[in-house]
Amino acid sequence: MINFIQFTLTRAGLAIITLLLVCFIVFSLMEFVPGTCAERYLAFKNTQGSQITYEDIEKEKIRLGLDKPFLYRYGKWVSNIVFDGDFGDSCILRMNINELLSGRFTLSLTICLVALIFSYLIAIPVGIISATTKYASLDNTLKFVSYLGIALPNFLVALCIMLFMTVYYGDTMTGLFSQEYENEPWSSAKLFDFLSRAWLPIFVLGWNATAFALQTVRALMLDENDKLYVMAARARGISGMSLLWRYPAKHSLGPVINSIGFDLNRIFSALPIVALILILTEAGALLIEALARSNDQQLAGAIIFLLTATIVFVNFITDIILAIIDPRIRKGVMGGG
Amino acid sequence: MEVSNQKKEAYYTATQMQLVRTRFFGNRSAMIAGSILLFMIICSLFADFLSPYDPTIKGRDKDYENGAPQIPMFWDENGFSARPFLHTLEKYRGADTNFRWVYKVDTEKRRYVYFFVEGWEYKVFDFNINLPGKILDFKIPGFTFNTHLFGVEEGGIHIFGTDKAGKDLFSRTLSAIYISLAVGTLGVFISFVLSLIIGGISGYYGGWIDSVLQMFTDAIRTVPPIPLFMCLAAFAPLEWSSELRFFFISCLLGLISWPTLARRVRTHLLSERSQEYILAAKLCGASSTHIIVRHLLPSFTSYIIVDLVISFPYMLLSETALSFIGLGLREPVNSLGVLLQNATKADVLLNYQWYFIPVFFLVVLILTFVYVGDGLRDAADPHKVK
Repeated sequence: MINFIQFTLTRAGLAIITLLLVCFIVFSLMEFVPGTCAERYLAFKNTQGSQITYEDIEKEKIRLGLDKPFLYRYGKWVSNIVFDGDFGDSCILRMNINELLSGRFTLSLTICLVALIFSYLIAIPVGIISATTKYASLDNTLKFVSYLGIALPNFLVALCIMLFMTVYYGDTMTGLFSQEYENEPWSSAKLFDFLSRAWLPIFVLGWNATAFALQTVRALMLDENDKLYVMAARARGISGMSLLWRYPAKHSLGPVINSIGFDLNRIFSALPIVALILILTEAGALLIEALARSNDQQLAGAIIFLLTATIVFVNFITDIILAIIDPRIRKGVMGGG
Repeated sequence: MEVSNQKKEAYYTATQMQLVRTRFFGNRSAMIAGSILLFMIICSLFADFLSPYDPTIKGRDKDYENGAPQIPMFWDENGFSARPFLHTLEKYRGADTNFRWVYKVDTEKRRYVYFFVEGWEYKVFDFNINLPGKILDFKIPGFTFNTHLFGVEEGGIHIFGTDKAGKDLFSRTLSAIYISLAVGTLGVFISFVLSLIIGGISGYYGGWIDSVLQMFTDAIRTVPPIPLFMCLAAFAPLEWSSELRFFFISCLLGLISWPTLARRVRTHLLSERSQEYILAAKLCGASSTHIIVRHLLPSFTSYIIVDLVISFPYMLLSETALSFIGLGLREPVNSLGVLLQNATKADVLLNYQWYFIPVFFLVVLILTFVYVGDGLRDAADPHKVK
C-alpha cells in the first residue's frame, strides 16, 4: 500500500511538473506575440474613436503590471491560477476570464468527454470484430471506414450534416441551445433541448476519435491473437467469444486505457474548428475568437491551459487505473507480490 | 525443391530494404493507393503544364464566373467527333431570367479541344527565396514555357468549373495539391531534423539529459496540437508576403509535430545501443561517429521512413485546418485548405457544388497516404514474417 501511495505521489508530482512546463510554454507564447496587452487594448480603443497618447500606454502598462520582469509575471500568473484559480482579465473584452469561461468550459468538457465515451463504445467491439473476423471483406470495409474517419476533416463532416439538415429539415442545427433556452437556467426541458442539438458536435468529434481508437484496438487484438498463450487456450478447448474476452481482449485493455489521454487530446484539437462551424457557444469557439479575431492572448492562454490541464489530469487518472488493474504494472509498482 | 531452396536463400540473403520492398509490393491495397498517390504527386509537379489557366487572379475568366464544370464530349445530336469539343456558351440576361446572368448553350457551335497549345507563361526550375534581409535572398531565374497540355481556341475550358472571381478550379486544384504537398514536405523535413537531433541526443546519452528532454517532449505532446498551432500562427502579422507565410506555416508544422518521432528515435536508440553488435564494433575500436553512421542509423532508417510517411497526412490535415480558419495560408496562395474555405458558404453548398471538387482530392490524397503508410509499416515490421 505504501508503495502504491508512493507511486501515486510520484505520478502526481510528474503531472504537476508537466503542467508547469506547459504553463511556461503557453505563457512565453503569450509574451512573444508582438505588442503587449496594454498596447493592444489601447489600439483597439483607438479604432473605436478615442485618442490615445504614449502616456496612456505607459499608464496602462503599469496598471497591468507589465513593467515587471518576465519571470516575475510568470510566477504571478501561475500562483494566481494555482492558489486563487484566477486567470486574470481578458485583454480586449475587459472581463474576468473566470466569469467568461465558467459555463462554457464545462460545456466543452461535457461534449468532448461524451464524444470520447461514444467513440470507445463503438471502437472496442468493432475493433475486436475487425481483428478476428474470418471475412477479409468485412475487415477491409471496416478498415476503409476507419481510414475515412481520419481522411475526412471533421469540419467537413459537420458542414455536410449541416447542409443536409438545412435542406431537409429547415433547421441548421447550429448552436447548443434553441433560442428560447439560450439564457434560461438549467432545467429538464433545457437539458432535453441541449441533448437534441449536442448530438451533432458529439458525433462529429467522436467520429474521428472512433477511427483512431478502432485502429488501436484492431492492431492490439491482431498482435495478441497470434501469441502462444492464446494458442494454448485454444488448445485447451476454449473458443469463440469466451476465449476472446478472457485472453486477448483483456490484454489489449491496458494500451487502450493508456491511449485515452491522447484520444482526448485529439478531440480537444478538433474542438475549436468544429465549434466554429456549428457556432457553438463554448470554450473552443472562444479560443478561435481570441486567436484569429481579437488577438486576445490572455484568454487564449487560459483556454489552452485548461485544455492541457484536463489532459494531464486524465493521463494521471489512467496511469493510476492501469496500476490497479494491470497485474504487470501492479507488480512493478508494488514490488514483489 | 530447387526453386523453394532458391527462394529461401534469396530470403535469407536479402537486405532489409529488399525485404521491405518485396512485402510492400505484395500488399495490394497499399500498391493501389501508392499508384494513385504517385499519379497525384506527378500531376502536382507538372501542375503548370497541365493547367490551362493561371491559378491566380491573373488567369481569371471574366465571362465565366461561378461557372459550372464544362466536360469535353465526343458526340452530341450532331454526330460524333474524334476530337473532344465543348459547346459555346452565351451570356444572356433578360426579363424572362429576372435580369440575372444565365448561360445559354449553343449546341450548334462546337469549340474543339486542342492539345499542346500555347497559353499563359510559367517558369520551370526557378528558385526564389525572399526572406527578410538581403543576404538570405537567393534567386535562380529558370526557364519560361508557355505550352500546356490542353486548351481551346476561343472562350474557356473549365473542366472543374470556376469560382466567384472566374478562376479556373482545375488549375487551382492542381496548384493547391502542389502547395499542400510542399508545405507538408517542408514540415515533415523540419520535424524530421528536430526529432533526429533531440531524440538522438536523448537516446544516445541517456541519464539526466534524457529525463529532462523527455519531460519537455511529453509536455509538448500533451498540448492539443491545433490550438497550439493557432496560437503560434497568430504571431504572423497580416502584412507578411505569401511566400513568407508559406515558409512560416511549414516551420510551425515541423516545430509542433516532432515529439512523436523524437520519442520513437530515442526508444530505438536506447534499445539498440546495448546490442551486441554495437559492443562488438566498440571493442574493435570504432569511433562514435562510425558507430552512429554505419550501425545505428541504418538500423532504423526503414522505421524513420515509415514514420515520416505516416505523419504526412496529419501535416496536410493540420495545414488544411489552419488555412480553413484563416490562420494558415491565404490567397493568392492556393492550398487545399484555402480552397476548402471557399466551399463553406451556404450559397456555395446549395448552388455551386463544384467548389467541393478540391475537397474530394484532399480526401483521396490523405486516404492514399494513410494506406501507403500502413502498408509500409506492415512491410517494415520484421516480426511479421509471412
